[in-house]
Amino acid sequence: MKKYIFLLAILALNVSCEEVIEVEVPNEEPRLVVDGLIRVDIDEPYIPVEVKLSLSSDFFNNNTPTSAESVLIQYDEYEDGTIINSFFSNLAELEPGSGIYTPDPNFSSDQRIPTSILDRNLVFNLLIRHEGRLYLATTEYVPAVPIDSLIQGDGTLFNDDETEIIITFTDDPDRDSFYLFDFSFSEFLVTEDEFYKGQQFSFSYFYDQIFEPNTEIEIGLMGADQTFFNYMDLLIEQTTNDAGIFSTPVATVRGNVFDITDIDNMDLFDNVEQPNVFPLGYFAIVQEYKDTLVIQ
Amino acid sequence: MYQHLRLFVITIFFLSSICLFSQQKFTISGTITEASSNETLIGVTLLVPEINTGVTTNDYGFYSLTLPEGDYQIRLSYLGYQDIVQTISLTQDLRLNFGMFEEVEQLDEVVVTEDVEKINIRKPQMSVNTLSVQTIKKIPVILGEADVIKSLLLLPGVTSAGEASSGFNVRGGAADQNLILLDEATIFNSSHLFGFFSVFNPDAIKDVKLFKGGIPSRYGGRVSSVLEIFQKEGNSNKFHMTGGIGVVASRLLAEGPIVKDKAAFLIGGRASYAHLFLPIFDVANKAYFYDLNAKLNYKINERNNIYLSGYFGRDVFSVSDSFINTYGNGVVNFRWNHLFSNKLFSNLSLIYSDYYYGLELDFVGFKWNSGIQNFNVKYDLKHYLSEKLRLNYGINNIYYKFNPGKIVPNSPESGIVEEQLIEKYANEFAAYIDVEHSVTEDLSLEYGLRFSYFMRLGQEELNVYENNNPVIFDPFLLIYREAEPIGTINPDRGETLASFANLEPRISLAYTLNSDNSFKASYTRLAQYLHLLSNTSSPTPLDVWTPSGPFIKPQLLDQYALGYFRNIKNGDYSFETEVFYKDIQNRIDYIDGANLIANNAIEQVILNGTARAYGLELLFRKNLGKFQGWLAYTLSRSEQRTPGRPPVEDNGRSNRETGINLGQWYSTPYDKTHDISVYGSYTLNKKWTFNSNFIYQTGQPTNYPIGQFEFQGIVVPYYGLRNQERLPDYHRLDISATLTPKKNEGRKWKSEWVFSIYNVYNRMNAASINFRENQDTGVNEAVRTSIFGIVPSVTYNFKF
Repeated sequence: MKKYIFLLAILALNVSCEEVIEVEVPNEEPRLVVDGLIRVDIDEPYIPVEVKLSLSSDFFNNNTPTSAESVLIQYDEYEDGTIINSFFSNLAELEPGSGIYTPDPNFSSDQRIPTSILDRNLVFNLLIRHEGRLYLATTEYVPAVPIDSLIQGDGTLFNDDETEIIITFTDDPDRDSFYLFDFSFSEFLVTEDEFYKGQQFSFSYFYDQIFEPNTEIEIGLMGADQTFFNYMDLLIEQTTNDAGIFSTPVATVRGNVFDITDIDNMDLFDNVEQPNVFPLGYFAIVQEYKDTLVIQ
Repeated sequence: MYQHLRLFVITIFFLSSICLFSQQKFTISGTITEASSNETLIGVTLLVPEINTGVTTNDYGFYSLTLPEGDYQIRLSYLGYQDIVQTISLTQDLRLNFGMFEEVEQLDEVVVTEDVEKINIRKPQMSVNTLSVQTIKKIPVILGEADVIKSLLLLPGVTSAGEASSGFNVRGGAADQNLILLDEATIFNSSHLFGFFSVFNPDAIKDVKLFKGGIPSRYGGRVSSVLEIFQKEGNSNKFHMTGGIGVVASRLLAEGPIVKDKAAFLIGGRASYAHLFLPIFDVANKAYFYDLNAKLNYKINERNNIYLSGYFGRDVFSVSDSFINTYGNGVVNFRWNHLFSNKLFSNLSLIYSDYYYGLELDFVGFKWNSGIQNFNVKYDLKHYLSEKLRLNYGINNIYYKFNPGKIVPNSPESGIVEEQLIEKYANEFAAYIDVEHSVTEDLSLEYGLRFSYFMRLGQEELNVYENNNPVIFDPFLLIYREAEPIGTINPDRGETLASFANLEPRISLAYTLNSDNSFKASYTRLAQYLHLLSNTSSPTPLDVWTPSGPFIKPQLLDQYALGYFRNIKNGDYSFETEVFYKDIQNRIDYIDGANLIANNAIEQVILNGTARAYGLELLFRKNLGKFQGWLAYTLSRSEQRTPGRPPVEDNGRSNRETGINLGQWYSTPYDKTHDISVYGSYTLNKKWTFNSNFIYQTGQPTNYPIGQFEFQGIVVPYYGLRNQERLPDYHRLDISATLTPKKNEGRKWKSEWVFSIYNVYNRMNAASINFRENQDTGVNEAVRTSIFGIVPSVTYNFKF
C-alpha cells in the first residue's frame, strides 16, 4: 500500500526537481554476498542449483565475484521432527573466478538434486567456507500457483510512457500464501493473499517504458515463505526511487545467511555481541511458474 | 509523583490561608469586544496601574477583577487597538463591557503599533508563541497563501520536516505530539496537499497561540505542544465580506448579524483550483482541496452565550480515475458560555470530530477507507477568586472510535475480499485544576494538576501471544520479528482491555526583577494516549492513529524550562531566551521493515523506547515603528532510543536483545542543530509595505548507504546505524510587497495586492537524497530532490 503513496507523492511533487549530485559515501570492509535464489520448474528432472558469490562494495563501485574454499548443500529429510535421511550436493565453481557455483560434475557421484524429492519433508542447508570463515543458510522449499492469464492492457497511471500488463492467478485457499513476481528488467513485486485468499485475483503492473512491438516479456510467479517475503519486500523498498519525504527508515537488509564461525552454541549462541559480523544475500528454493507476453 | 501531589496540597493550603484577609471588595466584570463588529477579543489586558494588578480577557472575551472599594483608573490595551483609559468608582459590583477601536492611521505619518505581540513580563506563562492574524497575513509564503503553520515555523523551537511535509515539530517533538485545537475541537491532520498548505483559513481566524512548554493543566493528551486556534464569531453589527484571489486558491468569507448585536453568522470557504501542479501530464488528473468554516453565535443575555461552529475540509486527488484519494477533517462544536456570577465563568463544549481517509485503486480493484471519530464533552470553569487568585478547573471526556481500515472490492470482477480491519475503541477522561496566583508583587505562580484516565475498550478480536510478547527477537539476524499469535480473544465492548491513570502536575513561576525584567521557570508532565503510526520521515495522511492498550503504553513527558524575559525601551524591543529539557518515556519505535498500513496486529511491529530533547531558544523582537520584526535562534538536539528488553531466562540461556538500532541513541528526523529565522516588515508609506524572511537550518538527519550488493540483478544499497548523516543545510530568503491602493480611502471596498517571491535566490534545498541505479546507464548515482526553486506569486485581497 505504501508504494502507492510513494507514487502519489511523486505526483504531487511534480513541481520538484531532481538533480544528480556528488556525495561522499561512507565505506566499510567488503562483505560476502550470497545470491542463492533457486527457481524450480517442477516439470524438469533436476533442481537448477546455482549460487552466486560476490563481495560487496561501496555504493559507487561494483561488486566483484569471489571464490570460496567450499560450497555444499546438505538436505535432510524429517519425520516427526527427527532426521531420517541426509543428502549432500557438492558445488563447484562453474568457471574459475566467476563466483558461480553449480553441482560439481566431476564428483564421483551425481551431485544434482532431483525435483521428485521435493515431495518429501526437506530442510536445505547451504554451507560456505570463504576466506577462513564459515557461513550457513537454512531454507525449505515453497510451492507456487500457475499464472492463469497474462494480457496487455492499454491503461496508464501517471504518464503516457507506460505499458500495462494484467496478471491473473488463483490463490491457494489452503495456505497463507506469499508470492514474488519477477517482471524481468530487475523489476520485482511481492504480494500476500491477506485480502484475496482462495480467490482468482488480477492486478495491473505498469512498466515505466514503452516497448518495441513484438518484444517478448517473461513474467515469473514464485512462491515465498514469510521470511523471504519480508526480505524481498524490504529489499524492493530500499531500492524504490520514491520522492524521499515519505521514506521509511532505512535498514541493513539482512538475509538468512549467517556467519557461524564463532558461534559454538556453548559460549556464544547469538550475535548480540558481534552485531557487525554478517554476510548479505539469501538462500531460497522456490517453485516458479513462467509465462511470456508478446507486446503488441 | 507522590511528592508532586504533596507539594500541590501544601500550596493549596498556603493559598487558602491568604484568602482570609479579605476586606470590603467589589468586582468589575464584563466582555471586551471589537467595537465595529462586536467580535470578542481574546487576551486584552486590563490594568490597574495604581495597585499594579490586572487581568486579561479569556478565550471568550470575558474578564473579572475583584478589588478593594475605591476609585481607580483602569487601562485597556490590545494589539492593534487604541487604548481605553477610564476612571471608575468602585462602591458596588460593576458590569462593564468595552468596545475597542482599531488603531487609526494618522493622516501624514503612519504610526504603526499593530503586531505588538508583547511579552508579558509578569505572567508565569512561558514558552508561548502568539502571532496576530495581521502578522500571519504579512509573512511571505509559498504561492502567496497566508498560512498559520508556516508562519509559526519562523519562531524559535518550531520546525518542519521541510517543504511539502505535513505537520510541524515543536522542541524536537514529533508531529503527532501536537494538540491542535480549532475552537476547542481536536484536528488530526493540519495540512492540505501533503503539507503545502495548512488547513486553517486565515480570514476565519481570530487568535493563534502555541504553547511549547509550561502547558497549563487544562490541556492534555499530547506531549509536545498545544496549538490553540479560535475562529471568529461573526460580525453581529454589519454584513461584511472578505476574500482573496491567489494563484493556487481563492477564498471568500461572509459574516453579519442575524439579530443585530445579538446573533451573528460567519461562513467562509476556500478552494484551490483543480489540476493544481498537474497540467503537465496529458492524463486526466486532479489535485485540489477545499475547506468550509461556519459559525453561529447567539447572545441570549448578559449571562449566556451559545456558539455553534463547524469546519469541514477535504483534499482530493485523482489520476485517470484509476487512483482516487480523498481525505480531511470534519468538526462540529456546540458551546454554551454561562456566567454563574461576576466571578465564575463557565463553558460547556460538545464536540464531534471526524477524520476520514479514502483511497480507491482501480488497477488493483479495491476501495479503502479509514478514519477516527471522537465525541468530546468538556466543562470548564474559570473562577476569579480575588485580584491575586484565579482558579481554572474542569472535566473532559472523549470517546474515540478508530477505524484502521476497511477494504472493499470496487467492482464485481475484483478478486478482493471485503474486509474490515478490527475497529478499536477507547475513552479518555480528565479532570484538572489550575491556580493562577500572584504571591507577591514580584512573584507569580501558576500551578495545577491534571488527572487523566484512559481506558482501552473491548474490540471484536484481540491476539494473544506467548509470554504476552507480540514481538520476538532473532538473536542471529539481530532483528525483531512479528510473533505468531497463539490465539485470539473476543472481548465485549463493555470490557476494559487496559487502563492507565496518570497524575500530571504542572507548575510555572515568574519572578519579576522590575517592570522590564523577569525570570520564569516551569515544569510540565503530560501523558499522551494516542499514537500516530508513522515510520516515514514526515507523516502522510494515510497514517493511522492507534490508542494505548495492552501492548502499547502511553507516552509520558517531563519538561523543564527556564527563561529570561526583557522589555527594552518600554516594550519597543523585547528579548526572550529559554532553555528546555524534555524526556519522553514510551515513545513508540518500529522494527525494521515494519508494515504499518492495513496491519491488524500493530503490536507486532512496535517497541516502546524513549526520546529526549534539549535546547536553547533566543528571540529578539522589534515591536514598534515603521520597521518591525524578529530574529530567532534555536540550538537543540532531539534523539530517541529503543534499547533491548531485559533478558529472559529460557532453558538456562538468557535471551539477550540488542534493541532497535543496536540500542543506541539516534537523531530523530526532526533534529535540527541550528535553526535561525529572521523576519522583517517595513512600512514605507500608506501604499507600500515590504516583508521579508530568511531561514537557515542544519540539514535534516538522513542515511547514506555504507555499501551495496546485487541480488537477482537488483542493486541494493545497504545502510548502517540510523540517521548518521545529514542533508545539506537548508536556507532560503522570501520577500513580499503589499500594495494598498490610494483609492481605498473613504470607500467601502478595500483591497490590496500582495506580490511575493519565495526562495528569491533559487536555492535548491534538498528534500531528500536518493541512491539508485540509473536505469539507462546502469551506473549508480545520488539524486537530490528539491521541491521549490524560486516561486513568484500574486494575491488580490478584498473586503467590503
